[in-house]
Amino acid sequence: MSVLTGKELRIVGFLCNWCSYGGADTAGVGRFVQPTDLRIIRVPCSGRIDPLFIVKALLNGADGVLVSGCHPRDCHYSQGNFYARRRLEVLKHFLPVLGIDPARFEYTWVSASEAQRWQKVVSSFTERIHKLGPASRLENTALPDGLEKRFAAIASGELPSDGKAATRLEELKDRIHEFLPDLDIVIGWQRGFDALHNTPLFMRSAEDLEKLVWGPLNIHNTATYLPSLRGKKVGVVVKGCDSRSVVELLQEKLVDRENIVVFGMPCSGIVDLSKIDRALRERGTGIGRVQAAECGEKGVTIKAGGQEYRFAMEEVAADKCFHCEYPNAVLADHLIGNASPSSSNGKISRQLAAFDAMSLQERMAYWRSQMDRCIRCHACRNACPLCVCKDHCIAQSRDPHWISQEDTITEKLMFQVVHAVHTAGRCTECGECERACPMDIPILAMKRQMNRAIRELFEYKAGTDPEAVPPLLAFQAEEKNIHEGVL
Amino acid sequence: MRIGVFVCHCGSNIEGTVDTAAVARAALGFPEVALATDAMYTCSEPGQDAIVQAIREKGLSGIVVASCSPRMHENTFRRAVERAGLNRYMFEMANIREHVSWIGKDREANTNKATELVRMAVEKLRRNTPLFSNKFDVTKRVLVIGGGVAGIQAALDCAEGGKEVVLVERESSIGGKMAKLDKTFPTVDCSSCILGPKMVDVAQHPNIKLLACTELKSVGGYVGNFQVELRKKATYVDWTKCTGCGQCMEKCPSKKSEDRFNERIGVTTAINIPFPQAIPKKAVIDPASCRHFLKGKCGVCAKVCPTGAIDYEMKEEVLTEQVGAIIAATGYDVFDISKIGEYGAGRYPDVITSLQYERLLSASGPTGGHIKRPSDGAEPKTIVFVQCVGSRDKSLGRPYCSGFCCMYTAKQAILTRDHIPDSQVFVFYMDIRAPGKLYDEFTRRAMEEYGARYIRGRVAMVYPQGSKYIVRGADTLLGTNVEIEADLVVLAAGAEAAAGAPALAEKLRISYDPYGFFVESHPKLRPVETNTAGVYLAGSCQGPKDIPSSVAQGSAAAAKVLALFSKDKLESDPQISRVDIKRCVGCGKCILTCPYGAIKKIDFRGEPKAEVVATVCQGCGICTSTCPQGAAQLAHFTDDQILAEVNALCRF
Amino acid sequence: MIKQLAYYPGCSSLGTSREYDMSTRAVCELLGLDLKEIPDWSCCGSSPAHSFDHSLSAALSARNLALVETMGLDMVATPCPSCLSNLKTSSHRMQRETFRDKVNLLLDKPYMGSVKSMSVLQALIEQVGTDTIAAMVAQPLTGLKLAPFYGCIMNRPSEIMEFDDPENPTSMDRILTALGAEVVPFPLKVECCGASYGVPFKDIVAKLSGKLLSCALDAGAEAVVVACPMCQMNLDLRQKQLAKPAGVNFEIPVVYFTQLMGFAMGLPESRLGFDKLCVSPALLLSRTLAAAS
Repeated sequence: MSVLTGKELRIVGFLCNWCSYGGADTAGVGRFVQPTDLRIIRVPCSGRIDPLFIVKALLNGADGVLVSGCHPRDCHYSQGNFYARRRLEVLKHFLPVLGIDPARFEYTWVSASEAQRWQKVVSSFTERIHKLGPASRLENTALPDGLEKRFAAIASGELPSDGKAATRLEELKDRIHEFLPDLDIVIGWQRGFDALHNTPLFMRSAEDLEKLVWGPLNIHNTATYLPSLRGKKVGVVVKGCDSRSVVELLQEKLVDRENIVVFGMPCSGIVDLSKIDRALRERGTGIGRVQAAECGEKGVTIKAGGQEYRFAMEEVAADKCFHCEYPNAVLADHLIGNASPSSSNGKISRQLAAFDAMSLQERMAYWRSQMDRCIRCHACRNACPLCVCKDHCIAQSRDPHWISQEDTITEKLMFQVVHAVHTAGRCTECGECERACPMDIPILAMKRQMNRAIRELFEYKAGTDPEAVPPLLAFQAEEKNIHEGVL
Repeated sequence: MRIGVFVCHCGSNIEGTVDTAAVARAALGFPEVALATDAMYTCSEPGQDAIVQAIREKGLSGIVVASCSPRMHENTFRRAVERAGLNRYMFEMANIREHVSWIGKDREANTNKATELVRMAVEKLRRNTPLFSNKFDVTKRVLVIGGGVAGIQAALDCAEGGKEVVLVERESSIGGKMAKLDKTFPTVDCSSCILGPKMVDVAQHPNIKLLACTELKSVGGYVGNFQVELRKKATYVDWTKCTGCGQCMEKCPSKKSEDRFNERIGVTTAINIPFPQAIPKKAVIDPASCRHFLKGKCGVCAKVCPTGAIDYEMKEEVLTEQVGAIIAATGYDVFDISKIGEYGAGRYPDVITSLQYERLLSASGPTGGHIKRPSDGAEPKTIVFVQCVGSRDKSLGRPYCSGFCCMYTAKQAILTRDHIPDSQVFVFYMDIRAPGKLYDEFTRRAMEEYGARYIRGRVAMVYPQGSKYIVRGADTLLGTNVEIEADLVVLAAGAEAAAGAPALAEKLRISYDPYGFFVESHPKLRPVETNTAGVYLAGSCQGPKDIPSSVAQGSAAAAKVLALFSKDKLESDPQISRVDIKRCVGCGKCILTCPYGAIKKIDFRGEPKAEVVATVCQGCGICTSTCPQGAAQLAHFTDDQILAEVNALCRF
Repeated sequence: MIKQLAYYPGCSSLGTSREYDMSTRAVCELLGLDLKEIPDWSCCGSSPAHSFDHSLSAALSARNLALVETMGLDMVATPCPSCLSNLKTSSHRMQRETFRDKVNLLLDKPYMGSVKSMSVLQALIEQVGTDTIAAMVAQPLTGLKLAPFYGCIMNRPSEIMEFDDPENPTSMDRILTALGAEVVPFPLKVECCGASYGVPFKDIVAKLSGKLLSCALDAGAEAVVVACPMCQMNLDLRQKQLAKPAGVNFEIPVVYFTQLMGFAMGLPESRLGFDKLCVSPALLLSRTLAAAS
């Protein structure tokens, strides 16, 4: 037993108990004839509706999801629909990123007395879904030829640079040396197991300071470690993007301002090691064979397998560094050197542009092909400086039981959506998720598209103002940029 | 779990378009369903008994009833389940009447949909847990907002019931609109003569604390335990000293103050007691026209006041009161007639509202009870009344009937003839709406005994011609145009929500309709309750009402409050949020978004955690959808329960 | 700054209201409103077309609006309220897709819906403003008591015309005040003068127009100021006809507001066409001149 084939499509409704469920009741009492497709789930308030319920439904077979609550200012709980409006609107902007037609989801307001309006809402939404037809299923989509290639060749653009990277390291060391006695620890970077893989450095003494390095191989986000060091006096060396994480952590009161000393380093872009690996492999070698690496103004010179390879920064820089808006720390107690000029020119990155150019079908296929590789190691989440849940992630709990242990594409994608929704309006695009991914899945691209929606809707950029409240934890009675769909 | 499913026929209401037996058969295949059956009327006594019996005999631990809306009978069945010894929350409903059988006739689709709804209910029920209420104390004091006749009645009834009452009134005297009326329909008895004694009772009742010139600032807390902040405006007169002797008014040199009590017909003194029967009878200075405040010197009232009550330095005060219940009785406003350009109100002084006319009729009004035109003071001989001005008019956003205008217009027609025997009254009307006791007889008297000429039709335009006004309208019964030369035009201005009503509703966390009137909990069965527990409605703030209805609602609201206060302890709704302390990481996002401030940060073994204050939580679930790790869970609407419903529907 | 507007004169301006057209062009030129007459404009269909067929009627107006789009302009002004009513109603109805398609099918060049139509009165108020007008006054109309008469369709229905108060408009009052004249309270300023019954039911016209003129006289007006060719003709031309039923010999000048503007701004009378009026305002105007000097 399920939907009647050929007659009905799977439409799920989430209705608040006080207004819309009452409105649907009133419509029934008034014998207002409606299509039979809709199945209604009753919730106390539209504010109770986690956008993830809707994603869950859409990824698991729903052809359409309809949410209805009390009219703004008329919420039984006074504010629930205001929160709902923001969250649902963000979801509406996010669904196409996954390749789901946003028309398959609608939210609206119906009061308990608006029987006729409810009839209209149900009829027009059902008609809309029937026009769209059955939704494509993630598992059944196939990647069109050449899409992956088309995608691999995109990253390029402008990088921030002032060419003074070398001189700053000494200045930075001097400055840290000066403050180290008052601090328990200072976080920076050191050379890792090979010449390419720099790793975080935790400095407690002057000797440690000697290990400090600076350059485009300092990929790790140093802010990630701050919450776990809470209670200690911590110095942290940050790139522009790392500093945004610091701001966001401060904003969410996950770290204490008085215990943190920020050393801001102007950044001229970092490399993407998976790009280097790809490039090396194209030349018949691999990142595992690297013997030496040097980063200069011209780019990266790598010795591997006895050969020398030279890559311009434009070839191997991380996608997030192109058109970087914040090469300098947005918050710093000590700014080292001259500020790097921002390379942001109002253009969207080519990576985003390439996503935009895909059809919905292609996007879904794209994610299917990417998620196919996911091994559910959760490294992406563990690396995220803003994941507050840590050991209590809903991806691994039975109560609540959001995600099953089944090894399916849907469950894997669902997990990525959970993370994207939980970090919506908080993610600073530091890229740790993508760096940590052993399967080279472009997770950051999903987050960046979410951020773009947040920016368009709320004129908000995470991690720029320590006093701001993340937009999904706030609301305005009149939302400037939200114009609810009319049904 | 052993689940019992009862599929109701509701006579033919459901059975007519849903094969209930088939639904029950299908339900038997759902997980943990031990019994599934269909029944004629599940909500009837035998129907409920069948549930109770099944629970006892078959050892059921959860019940699903597929019938009408849970908004209709959820409580009925919960009580039945409880009678059989189960926890009342081990019960779910599938709404197969309002959401299925009544909205379409396709029996196959309906049966299929009903079956799915039952499956959803079963899946949810499988994750239900028993919930238990907490008990908490009740503060047995009530706040009444608004001192019109509804508020007065509510305050007196509560006070008579032995409960303490705080009555706040925005103006300097209670009495509201009724105090401005000359006579009341259909008995034509004197308004202030019947209201006056009640006002005195309010002043003298030991259980009533009357705060005039006071407004509500904020409301915190919940039913049984509200903390209310009140803003007492500066009156510039120390009321503990003022005796209401009125010497200040006699001597006040500034006589251009807006006379709000007399509906701005005429002006009054800057220091003022609005009317002789005012309660409290205390003077108030209007700083907008007082010379002391405008020019910095005068001080006449301070000189003549025999008790030295004048205090020009007085400041607004904020008072705090603890109450257990709140009655909103904030009344209505009169439609702004100048919005209708074609009637010229605002431009033509002799086009007035019926409430202004009431002041002209009143012996304590600005004309001493003689009907005089505002423009030249002449006695009008031809008076045209226009009904439905700002009522039943979609173009003005006022599609509703104000209800009492037909009656007071008839009353004013009668009084006009009493005051000026050689006058002629014309009444333009759309329909006569006189459904109350003795009401229709009353309008007939206005026409038949008092010779008021009723013309069925709308007035198109009023314009001055010489010293008269031409009222042009349609007579739809005769099918002609009519033009009447009038001396005075009285517009029966409709009632609209009081200007601050939406803001007050937001403070009280109650709903209001698109016009600004407060929304009752149920239009028929819960007319004075609101959706916020402990907040009640009386009088016209809920919709236009005449005096008898307002008084009845005042008493009804008082009865609700007394019933609430008859218990020493109240039971909280257990459908509230809880934070699983093991899962909580103390990020505080729930604290930020809770509209009630019901979540506080606590220290648990040195770790910050969130905790729900059970009595403050209202069960909206915003925290649950905010909490990323699912630590905050709204009982009865947990993530798992809703996911179970989603999964019941969305399975490839 | 010169503002460019398309100009739709309307048929009356070629005949009975030439003085309105003349004075409008002269005044706008002086005030820096560059009126570009729509090339090859055609009749708006007033007033019989819409009673025959809505889409045909709308097409008549839409053709002219489409021409405005070809001119590269987005605003059109017309002196005649009746033309305005047709232009605006057509635009309004054509917001509906189905209706728009139906109308555009009748046209060589479809109308895209980008043109805002307004009366010359609205253009003067919104594009020039009374401050500028007051500043341009050379000989104020001091002491002149005027009754502004807007007619019944200038501002109605308000949801289509979207200008001024439909029951108590004041735009012309403000212009006349800016010219230095005294505006008398004229309660019948938006009444019907009966123009469309001019041929079949003269008695109705006599009643309606007579009442208007009596009211103006009662209010103390020395002239009625109008913004509509039909009203002007009706009130001016028929004064003798009206005299008998009303029992009053009116002899009250009925002038266009643009004529008075031109006069106050010192434009030569040859450009204002006072000589085309039936009841001459000469006496009044010369009195103003004398008072000014």
